[in-house]
Amino acid sequence: MSRNARRGWLVATATMMAICVFAIWQSLLLSLTDRLGPGPGFFSFWLSLLGVLFAGLLILDVWRKPVIESDETLFPRGESAFRVLIIIGAVAGATLLMGWVGFELAMLVFIAVLTFALGERRWYAIGLFAIAGSFGVYYVFTRWLDVLLPPGPWAA
Amino acid sequence: MESLGYLMAGLGAALSFNNLLFAFAGCVLGTLIGVLPGLGPAAGTAILIPLTFNLDATGAIIMLCAIYYGAMYGGTITSVLINVPGEAASVVTCIDGYQMAKQGRAGSALAIAAIGSFVGGIVATILLVAVAAPLASLALKFGPAEFFALMVAGLCLVVGLAGRNILAALLMTALGLLLSLIGMDPVRGAPRFTFGIEELYDGIGFVPVVMGLFGVGELLLAAEARQTHLIQADLKKWYPTRDEWRRSSGAIGRGTVIGFVLGLIPGVGAIVPTFMAYVLEKRISKNPERFGKGAIEGVASAETANNAYANGSMVPLLALGVPSSPTIAVLMGAFIVNGLTPGPFLFQEKPELVWTVIASFFVGNVLLLILNLPLVGLWARLLKIPFAYLCTGVLIFCIIGAYGLKQSLFDVWVMLGFGVLGYILRKLDFPIAPAILALILGPMMEKSLRTTLEISGGSFAIFLDRPLALALLAVPLIVLAAIALRPRAFANLRQTDIE
Amino acid sequence: MIRRRTLIAAAGATALAAPAFAQNFPRKAVQMIVAFPAGGNTDIGARILASIAEKDLGQPITVVNKGGAGGQIGFTEGARARPDGYTVTFINLPSVSTIVLDPERKAAFKMDSFVPVVNQVLDPGVVWVKADSPYKTFADLLDAAKKAPGKISACTTGILSDDHLAILMVDDAAKVNFRIVHFEGSAQQLTGVMGGHVDCAFDNVGGIVKRVKSGELRALVVTDDQRSKFLPDVPTTKELGFPSVISSSTRGIAVPKGTPADAIKVLETAFLKAINNPEHIKKMDEQGLALKPMVGAEYAKYYADSHAAATKYTEWALKQR
Repeated sequence: MSRNARRGWLVATATMMAICVFAIWQSLLLSLTDRLGPGPGFFSFWLSLLGVLFAGLLILDVWRKPVIESDETLFPRGESAFRVLIIIGAVAGATLLMGWVGFELAMLVFIAVLTFALGERRWYAIGLFAIAGSFGVYYVFTRWLDVLLPPGPWAA
Repeated sequence: MESLGYLMAGLGAALSFNNLLFAFAGCVLGTLIGVLPGLGPAAGTAILIPLTFNLDATGAIIMLCAIYYGAMYGGTITSVLINVPGEAASVVTCIDGYQMAKQGRAGSALAIAAIGSFVGGIVATILLVAVAAPLASLALKFGPAEFFALMVAGLCLVVGLAGRNILAALLMTALGLLLSLIGMDPVRGAPRFTFGIEELYDGIGFVPVVMGLFGVGELLLAAEARQTHLIQADLKKWYPTRDEWRRSSGAIGRGTVIGFVLGLIPGVGAIVPTFMAYVLEKRISKNPERFGKGAIEGVASAETANNAYANGSMVPLLALGVPSSPTIAVLMGAFIVNGLTPGPFLFQEKPELVWTVIASFFVGNVLLLILNLPLVGLWARLLKIPFAYLCTGVLIFCIIGAYGLKQSLFDVWVMLGFGVLGYILRKLDFPIAPAILALILGPMMEKSLRTTLEISGGSFAIFLDRPLALALLAVPLIVLAAIALRPRAFANLRQTDIE
Repeated sequence: MIRRRTLIAAAGATALAAPAFAQNFPRKAVQMIVAFPAGGNTDIGARILASIAEKDLGQPITVVNKGGAGGQIGFTEGARARPDGYTVTFINLPSVSTIVLDPERKAAFKMDSFVPVVNQVLDPGVVWVKADSPYKTFADLLDAAKKAPGKISACTTGILSDDHLAILMVDDAAKVNFRIVHFEGSAQQLTGVMGGHVDCAFDNVGGIVKRVKSGELRALVVTDDQRSKFLPDVPTTKELGFPSVISSSTRGIAVPKGTPADAIKVLETAFLKAINNPEHIKKMDEQGLALKPMVGAEYAKYYADSHAAATKYTEWALKQR
């Protein structure tokens, strides 16, 4: 295990342990048992206790593992990182926009930005895909498949 | 032999032009639903029920069953090609199917999945005809205690197959179960872990989580690797090689049995048999290290089991009137809408209808095979699409799938959050599958444990009194303990990761 | 975000579009939330009604099962749905009341979160066992329960459901103590009791009539003051000397508060017409579901009265906890 991978595992496991500790506290706020048998907190309490146990053992286990020296990084840099971040950013942006201007416009922007960022440069291809993927998809899903999508502000 | 006569008459009716047309339309629609990530068989059949309203009862039910099978098969296509399970039962298919696709064997994977599904479906239907009644009484033996034990067994199996790191798998299982507890307590109705957020009252949706962890997570990995295409596929070689045939035939046989038997047990869900069939193949394989790296047996067993399950799960519905999964519950609704109450009476009161529907299962399976084998090349062509388009396209479907189920933008955020999480966990090589299974089984597990303790008056000794439950609990726990305590002896079994 | 848009949409719909609303409603499929799993008593009635009412409504009605926590999960979703008439909820009385009344359940809705539109069914309670059970009569069951206090298990269709209250009423009237097991809906009860995991079930008449007639299970008593027309051979609690044990479940359609009056009118007309449709009556008869159509003021009064009655029993149930 490389130094960076080990650090990653330790951080991840510690985070999960913290979640379990938090869940123990939350479970204790609910009743563990009542006259009718096990209460709402019963399952979550024992489960998070087990989670803490597993996380603790896992931390020990990872700690003991020999470290291989290498400068291999866990997460990418440069262009690779840009691609990952632009996808996350685009979905987040589209979701924000969707609640505001509706599915069609949000998707139009989303598709145009993302295809351009991922390397497409032919503007007509981007345009066609964006229109099909926003207005086209909206029409097909809402009219034919009866799946509701966020409407634009013009659709009362 | 009375059933055989009815079956023949039913087959005649099922082959009538109208019913054939309904089965065909159902298969096509179902496959389409399966292909669209996020729209699984349950949502799909529910959405399409209105389409069948103007049909007669037989036609409507034939069509809905065909939609169900079609969706089960369609889920395979996206699992293999883009590592996005079109529905939950295809999660296992992703493991080796996607690896095969990466190695240019997408065609073989899809072909063997179609053939496996066909064999599983046909054999399970034959078994359904033969043993529906006697096995139905066995299913009644499954009380809440046995359910709980069965689910623990299922989770232990997944942990056992998680490979390198049992502790990590156990931790992920616990977190998956905790995640499933968000929302209202299924017994008392008290809200838990909701922090006053209204959207959390109904729990974290399974669909957005799976689409995030698998779909978005995988896309982010692919994006990082600067791939211009997600995978390279050789379209010409879709027909499985002789060697692949040899490897798959046993897996198909075993998958059929596992899928059918688990289909009889209400509440198991389609995902457990696929996992079990996969684990079995890995365990009995002479070279288990191939699993997770594109072993065709993995695809064959999982896909066969999931279709055999789909047919097997009709037994508790038809014989007992007990729906064993959300999709079957929707089908049951369709029966009821058409004035039929599934249960023992249905066979007595409307034998011609029941047997026509059962016969249509055969017809549906044949149609699916005809429909899918020649189209494998067409589906595989999807892979030629440049990454910029495929990535954007998949994301559009993920967004629609996450939003469409409950019309909630919150679910889209959930999907994105779990996408980032899935990406990070993948980078760290944390096992993801145990968390997914735990997320599905969590509510059922808690409910059955608490019902069991209500029955016993709070005493855990009830598990000792019930041999079936005890066996289901003990065997996997012992195996797991053995693996954990003597890691070296089992090292060869655990060299490969499920992820 | 969703909330804000909902409010704007609701305000817009009532203030501006009101006159045109009646002609425009419904323009798309109506979703019907059933707070119990598929195959249960409530679900069967809802699906029969939905299949007939959609012809009168002119738009498809999609039945969505949201089972769990004795109906709370489905009711909560129904009460918090967009009040535009496109989401209707099958409300079960007294379940809605008991959930609101139990402080531990922190219900996210109140009684006035729903506007009752049309009632469909009044289904009396029934106690049943499987056909080969040693308990031939209700007295047998009570004797066994007296001999082994807290050992004879009785299952409900959910916590604080009418079945749960009925068990408590019997406990009190006959001075017994059943071990209460909460299932989710009648389908689970069926496997639980038929599989021998639980001794008896407190359920409603609808849904079990066919199985009683086929001899698969035996109805011991109907918790009503008059015999059910579907189970004429089964005695009532009143006949057996327990006049205080009267319990039933009524099921009808409600919409979230704030739904435009025009939409309510359209829904009321369509559903009432469907309930009185001979096809509906016939199918409900086959299922053993007794009809009790109520609309407008009558249903609103019943809604309030039922809540008052439930208050008494729920407080009592909570004391037992």
